[in-house]
Amino acid sequence: MAVCMAMRKRGCNRMLQISNLYKSYGKFQAVSNLTLHIPKGDLFGFVGPNGAGKTTTIRMVCGLMLPNSGYIAINGIDALANQKEIKRQLGYVPDFFGVYDNLKVREYMDFYGSMYRMHSREIRRISDDLLELVNLSDKKEAFVDTLSRGMKQRLCVARALIHNPALLVLDEPNSGLDPRARVEMKELLQNLRGMGKTIVISSHILSELSEMCNSIGIMNHGSLVAAGRIEDVMEGVFGNNQLVITLEEGHETAIRIINECTRVKVDSVGEHEIRLSHNMTKPEIARMVGAMIAGGVVVTGFHKQEGDLETLFMRVTGDGR
Amino acid sequence: MYLNPIVKKDIMVQSRSMKICWGIFVYELVLALVFFLAMSIIQGNSRYSTGNIYSAMVWLYPVLAITQLIILGLVVPVKTASSISGEKERQTFDIMMTTGMSPISVILGKVMTAIVQGMFFVVASMPVMALPFIIGGMSWAYLFWFLGIALLVSLFSASIGILCSSLCKKSISAVILSYVFYLIFFLGTVVPPVVVAVVAENLRYTLGSIPQPFEVYGDNIYLCLLLNPAVYLAEFFARVMAGESLTNNMGSFAGQTKAQGPIALMTTGYWWFISATILFVGISFLFLYFASKRINPIRGGRRRASHAVKNRH
Repeated sequence: MAVCMAMRKRGCNRMLQISNLYKSYGKFQAVSNLTLHIPKGDLFGFVGPNGAGKTTTIRMVCGLMLPNSGYIAINGIDALANQKEIKRQLGYVPDFFGVYDNLKVREYMDFYGSMYRMHSREIRRISDDLLELVNLSDKKEAFVDTLSRGMKQRLCVARALIHNPALLVLDEPNSGLDPRARVEMKELLQNLRGMGKTIVISSHILSELSEMCNSIGIMNHGSLVAAGRIEDVMEGVFGNNQLVITLEEGHETAIRIINECTRVKVDSVGEHEIRLSHNMTKPEIARMVGAMIAGGVVVTGFHKQEGDLETLFMRVTGDGR
Repeated sequence: MYLNPIVKKDIMVQSRSMKICWGIFVYELVLALVFFLAMSIIQGNSRYSTGNIYSAMVWLYPVLAITQLIILGLVVPVKTASSISGEKERQTFDIMMTTGMSPISVILGKVMTAIVQGMFFVVASMPVMALPFIIGGMSWAYLFWFLGIALLVSLFSASIGILCSSLCKKSISAVILSYVFYLIFFLGTVVPPVVVAVVAENLRYTLGSIPQPFEVYGDNIYLCLLLNPAVYLAEFFARVMAGESLTNNMGSFAGQTKAQGPIALMTTGYWWFISATILFVGISFLFLYFASKRINPIRGGRRRASHAVKNRH
């Protein structure tokens, strides 16, 4: 009973639950046995090479495609059985989208607000706030088709938020945007996360994802190959046992002290740094560095070697070295 | 009052475009040309007859009404055929499907837009249509009957257009498919009665008489014509203009004796007209239902979900 309660409690904390999801197009298996849980308030980056199954997964989550089998729940609600309720929980920004000619920004927001049967006064109030949030307040009376791509993208995010959804799903929102528009989009998403929204974003621009997201999922050939908090995924892939010691002089002494330690191995020696692989505890590392300093080595710093998302991506998708 | 957002948006967007102005201009121009042509024919005929030219003006009613119904029948499928496929081409369809609107609401919004637009044209032509009533002395009720028929034509042609739009990815394919549907209704429904009539004539020629069941029940094949819009309109105008029914004598081609079965009922009184009206409305809603099923990206999702729940248990 207690376990059941705990599981239910854990389930309540999950915004998106995907279990054993399968989708095939004919003989091609687009998504295979995908299981993923995204907690509330996360900014989740969905990455993978072209054809990995990201967009298919996103379309299934958004109710635009039926899976062959599996379970999807948003905010604890079964997405397949409660399509109407799910639409209230979800805001979707597709990778490519069009706008209507001869429709003003304000009318565009009105149109989508009224699709959720919202009152016109309520739509007006919320759309004013959202247009301010996406920095389009001065474009209310502009025709949508006259906006730049970046503005249209931000307007689409505002449109997706008109009904105050719990989950915002963005498929490649930065594709085709100039650097300034990308920065604005990144700031917007971070602001939204700060407001407590759960955001799922698929993107090819890994450096931006690593700056924005707190958790990631990497897909390859229809399967999820790694998922979780970015630090955890990095640690799982690169390990937590690589250390870089930067120093000015005393290389030989430093190497001698390192070799005296039992659970450490020198990987490489550079002009100003020594890279190590180790299996030591933190106090042992501190004692080793302390011994170096006491032995006259001019240590300018030491840090754990961090991997980046691009290296991680290349490694887990099988193309890394 | 809740107004379907699609109707509100589509009408607002289209009324800002010059297309609607040009559309009404061309519509009125065609009506004016038909009006003057009909007037000149009426005037020409009156020279050789002693009849009153004013009473002949009643013939403007079927001429103008049929012209308008033909225009509606041709234009409405073109406009509606791009309603769903146009959203797909514009890449706004996916967004629409993730909003709070159900597929049937989307379809009803599209069909209502088409009907409202059709009615723009019909209402704009009311002053011209009123002439036979003012000068020719027709009953005003027929004007409202015409509005009803125009509404039915708009609904029927819009439902064909929307169904085709949901079936095709490209608008142009949807337009072509809509006209194929028209062909099926206009010509396809004529084929079975013609085949039966030809077979009956051949049997009569070769055997000397038609076998009993074929003679008695063969006439029921004429029920196919209930689905023929041309027969429906012909029946309507025959009743309005001549006070007679075209369908009351139906079935006398194949058999010498009075037909039995449903055809016997349908060809008495107003039954043909009533049944055909109900059929066309029913078919329209059936088409709209199929279109809504067709555009639902996760049709059958609830059923699959319940299967999944059973499997989990």
